[in-house]
Amino acid sequence: MTPPLYIALRFLTHRKRALLLSLSGVVFGVAIFICTQAQTQGFARYFIDSTIGSNGALVIRSRFRPRYEPLMVSAKGSKATMGRRLYFEGITNPNEIMRVSRQFSNIVSCSPVLRGTVSARAGFENATVDLYGIDPALHAQTTDILHQLINGNFDDFRNNTSSIIIGSRLAELLQAGVGDTVQLLAPNGEFWRFTVAGIARAGIGSIDATRIYAHARVAQALLQQPSGATMIIYKLRDPNRAPALASRFETLFQHNASSWQEREESTLQLFLTLRMSVAITVSLIILLAGFGIFNVLTMSVLAKIKEIAILRSMGYRRIDISLIFLWQGAVIAVAGSLLGCSLGALMTWGVSHIPIRLRGLLYTNYFLVTWDWRHYAFATLLALIAVFIASYVPARRAAQLPPVVTIRGSR
Amino acid sequence: MNSQICLSCKGIERYLGEEEERVHALRGVSLEVEAGSVHAVVGPSGCGKSTLLYILGLLDPPDTGQVAIESKSVSHLSDDELARTRNKFIGFIFQFHFLMEDFTAQENVMIPMRKLGQLSDVQMRERANDLLEAVGLGDKLRRASRHLSGGEQQRVAIARALANDPRVILADEPTGNLDTANSDRAFELLQNIVK
Repeated sequence: MTPPLYIALRFLTHRKRALLLSLSGVVFGVAIFICTQAQTQGFARYFIDSTIGSNGALVIRSRFRPRYEPLMVSAKGSKATMGRRLYFEGITNPNEIMRVSRQFSNIVSCSPVLRGTVSARAGFENATVDLYGIDPALHAQTTDILHQLINGNFDDFRNNTSSIIIGSRLAELLQAGVGDTVQLLAPNGEFWRFTVAGIARAGIGSIDATRIYAHARVAQALLQQPSGATMIIYKLRDPNRAPALASRFETLFQHNASSWQEREESTLQLFLTLRMSVAITVSLIILLAGFGIFNVLTMSVLAKIKEIAILRSMGYRRIDISLIFLWQGAVIAVAGSLLGCSLGALMTWGVSHIPIRLRGLLYTNYFLVTWDWRHYAFATLLALIAVFIASYVPARRAAQLPPVVTIRGSR
Repeated sequence: MNSQICLSCKGIERYLGEEEERVHALRGVSLEVEAGSVHAVVGPSGCGKSTLLYILGLLDPPDTGQVAIESKSVSHLSDDELARTRNKFIGFIFQFHFLMEDFTAQENVMIPMRKLGQLSDVQMRERANDLLEAVGLGDKLRRASRHLSGGEQQRVAIARALANDPRVILADEPTGNLDTANSDRAFELLQNIVK
């Protein structure tokens, strides 16, 4: 143990109240940072997993071709590309697009979907629903529908073309359970009868309240759609690379392609804003803790002026004196971060057990948290920086104190 | 003869204070101190005794003049090198013992040794015990320095000044804060050390 560390530890342990004050600031700052980040990211992560699990990481929709208007010149820097396209509903030759897109290494699987809006009736209840005509096998590979089933059996759906899977909130609205009959209104005014084979909960209110899955061919007949698919959804190995792949697919297939980031941009921005807002607030707490440490160490320097002079007279260098106070800060930062991380984990665990009944944007019965080592690393880094800055000034001041002035003053 | 000179200074000038309060404290002080000798600087209060001591102890730089330890000038040394020289060659005893309050008597004596870094922890402890034994505090090794009497604290300060076996011991009115009995004991100790 170096002499400055030895002396720093002794100084620290002999001022227990000051040590406790400094330490508690760092501990609570780090813990609250971790806990709040775990919560805000928990909700965001749940939303992202749910939306990717239900709607895929990438979706190809309408075919387009450039609008040939050579006399029209757009303004410089204008992003009016969309305006210069003509869109045609539906996917042209979905099987060929899927065959080619499967060649891409990032593609895990893909599923064609025929989508339309219809009215649903069960008993005396009516609702406007989002009908998804799917290939059960491909859809099960591409989405989390198997895990989302909270009632019923996917095999029953797969083996019965006149069966459907309905969203959990829609099931509540229609008061329909597994085995019940739900009627869907075709555009020609004819009601088609379906048996509910399963109830799915994606966890996102807008999906659970409107979605019905039916077999693709049945949906095609019901919706009287000429094309076999209105969109293709993709499961990716790395969903974070979806925007780049979407851009590539647009060029390659001349179909509109959108990543989950683009699709959910507004909600993701909301989560990001919330997370940043909380992070700023909690960072201020850590900075406040740093300010507390600055005060404690400055007071310590003032209280130890005599000791500093003695040490200098015994041959301790200015850097040794600085190190004594920097070590005190370092010990507080390291111990505070370790304790803060432990407390943060405990608080996160505790928060994840707090009951909360959310049935809006998301479906959950408990607070959602995420366990991410980066929260702990970032909180620790923030604490170390704050404490270092807080210790540096008093340490520097202590080193600059001329010993003779103190010794003379003590006479 | 020159090889026995352990401390010397030549033409030391020192001004204290600023502007109207500026005082010419030391005027061309020169001296040579031989190893194994005891010297006393005497004079009225404010004549610059302590100022000279701090300059000789490398705590305060002179305005002009040179200080040499074992015939080697230290005027050109950096602050770090001066600190190292102080640690190795000089032991200070102040009027007020200036012990580290958070440390025991033994730990106080070990502080200069820790900085020098030539002894192991066990060796430092043994040397501190021997020195404290020599100043009559063998039974109070682990007592916190603030719980010692004034005389005992000054004796710990003397032991601490001897910790690194320095070539020069500079004592600034070491008995100025002690009663007669403790003063006599401290003087006796210092003279025994020189012998």
